[in-house]
Amino acid sequence: MIEHALYLSVALFCLGVLGVITRRNVFVVFMAIELMLNGANLGFIAFARLHESMDGHVLALLVMAVAAAEAALALAVIILLHKHKGKLDTNVFNLLRG
Amino acid sequence: MMHHSALLLPMVILPLAGAFVLGVLRLATVRERGMAAHHFGIIAAFGPILSFLLALGLLVQINGLPGHDRVLSQSLYQWFAVGEMRVNFGLMADPLAVLMVLFVTFVGSLIHIYSIGYMKGDPNAGAFFAYLNLFLGAMLILVLGSGPLVMFVGWEGVGLCSYLLISYYNDDRANVAAGNKAFIVNRIGDLGFILGLALLFWAIGDTGFDYADLRERAPELTPLLALTVGLLLFIGATGKSAQLPLYVWLPDAMAGPTPVSALIHAATMVTAGVYMVARFSFLYMQSVPAGVIIAWVGILTALLGAIFGMFQRDIKKILAYSTISQLGYMFVGVGLAAYSAGIFHVFTHAFFKALLFLGAGSVITALHHQQDIWRMGGLKKRLPITYVTMLIGALALAGVPPLAGFFSKDEILVAALATGHPVIWLLGILVAGMTAYYTFRLIFVVFHGTPRDAHYEEVTESLRVMTIPLMILAAGAVLAGFINLPPILGGHQLLSHWLGLEAHHSPHIKLELLTILASLTVCAVGIGIAYRRFIPTAVEPVYHGFARFAEAKFHVDELYDSLFVQPLLGAGAAIRRVVEPRIVDGPVQAVVWLYRAGADAVSAVQSGYVRVYAIYMVVGVGLLSFAVYRLLVG
Repeated sequence: MIEHALYLSVALFCLGVLGVITRRNVFVVFMAIELMLNGANLGFIAFARLHESMDGHVLALLVMAVAAAEAALALAVIILLHKHKGKLDTNVFNLLRG
Repeated sequence: MMHHSALLLPMVILPLAGAFVLGVLRLATVRERGMAAHHFGIIAAFGPILSFLLALGLLVQINGLPGHDRVLSQSLYQWFAVGEMRVNFGLMADPLAVLMVLFVTFVGSLIHIYSIGYMKGDPNAGAFFAYLNLFLGAMLILVLGSGPLVMFVGWEGVGLCSYLLISYYNDDRANVAAGNKAFIVNRIGDLGFILGLALLFWAIGDTGFDYADLRERAPELTPLLALTVGLLLFIGATGKSAQLPLYVWLPDAMAGPTPVSALIHAATMVTAGVYMVARFSFLYMQSVPAGVIIAWVGILTALLGAIFGMFQRDIKKILAYSTISQLGYMFVGVGLAAYSAGIFHVFTHAFFKALLFLGAGSVITALHHQQDIWRMGGLKKRLPITYVTMLIGALALAGVPPLAGFFSKDEILVAALATGHPVIWLLGILVAGMTAYYTFRLIFVVFHGTPRDAHYEEVTESLRVMTIPLMILAAGAVLAGFINLPPILGGHQLLSHWLGLEAHHSPHIKLELLTILASLTVCAVGIGIAYRRFIPTAVEPVYHGFARFAEAKFHVDELYDSLFVQPLLGAGAAIRRVVEPRIVDGPVQAVVWLYRAGADAVSAVQSGYVRVYAIYMVVGVGLLSFAVYRLLVG
């Protein structure tokens, strides 16, 4: 039973990573990151169940709080990015190019 | 035993402080219309005049000491210490140095005053007067230094000021080239000087490097070492005092303002070499051959200078070659160990040559910067004061008794005969005749005959601030010879006894009579020939053969140019073309290329795309996780 939950968690996380790497729309990348966070949260809950401890639950709640804060911040950044360039394509934002 | 004197430091400091104040004032006012030239001049005259008064005080002080122990000194601070060696920066004055500072500050004061008139209206006069004061300070350091190293500071200082003042009119490239030439030729001489000092230090310098220490240990030098050191130091002197083969810079140095030619390139700086040999008399006493070589170089230079002087047409060049020639006499004197005779000639020459140069400056300004004697003529009526004073200077230079040049020149010639060098004596007599000829050629062509200048009617005598120094120097040129009257003429050789540089020998009555008769004869002949040629009217001659060769200065400049200058320039160009790009720059460029290629390779990683960085992160975290897993589990 636990294994299934863990498989789902890893699958969600990998989907998130894939989304981050392959998608070019900033919004989709952001959603992929949320997916990775949720994958990790599922892992925490599954291990908490396995070890019958509350630590995992606490951590999952913390991650949710951080994710909410991060969402507020990231959305503001995305609005600014759009104001600046008029696009949300990550390829446009390549100032760090060496 | 040395005696302390507090006068030495202020004497050196005053002109240097003047230079500083003038420099600051000049920089402060250069942006606006600037201070008037004569204001700078009046400030500049303070330092030299006060130094002269201090020098008089020094004379009184030194005469109050017992006859055998006349050394005043002032130790200032420890200059540097290397290992056991301590070199102090100190000042020292003995009768020789006191005589030098007396006439340097006296002539210097007069020339500063004269310059107030000469530089009137010059926009850069502030710099001029600052350099002039700086020169005087450096010259006093040279003369009053307590050791060879302190002397060297002054030696280089006067060279620097000479350079700055020769190229003072720097809007003409030729003047800048003349300044460079003087500086570079002097560097060649200075190399010899430095090597000489180094050798001297290596031999006997380990217990102290002041004159007093060196004098004590000079007898320890082997004859060969004394000869080598003596000749190396003399190479320095040939540069500074314009002797063969390094005399070439002095005629070009006439590009500077005329007061500079009078002060630096006639009266004071160029005699530094003679002073140096006299200062190192303890060394040259250890090596007679070194002295004889110096005397021969001196007499040959005197001859060459006189030959060139006879055929020049630029009034200042004539005087410049005359200076070279007279410096040659001085080296004959100091070379043959007749130090007081050589220094006596330095002393008298300072008066009459400064006088002649200042007179020439007066003529040049009156004619609006005309320097060609064949464009002058008949100026006697227009410039009466300049004429009379220059005539006195010319008589003194030609060696007409009882003016200054007569006594000092004859004393050197007597010394040549007394030490057994009849050839030097004969050449000296010959040069005396030539000197009389070219000096009066100048006087007759410039002041007598018919006017050749287009603006003759408008020519007026110079300002009084210029003529009064002329008159004072003329009085000096008349009287300076009497301070060392030989016994044969009823004197007591006061100066020689006072200087005390050499042992006193009984006077050679016969030799002196012979010399006086011979020099009077050639002097009369020289003036006579000039009179017959240029009176009543002088016609500009066209030179042929030898005369033409001499007018072209034997093509020595061209010879040096093709022998040294061009090969060096060629070598420089070759180095720039081959060695610089291939050997020096090659490895440097290779390193640059290497770093640039490395940077290009690494910077490809920095794509600037967020998702690429995400891949790096995933790969990195993956590898890290794997490593941690291996560490913990397997």
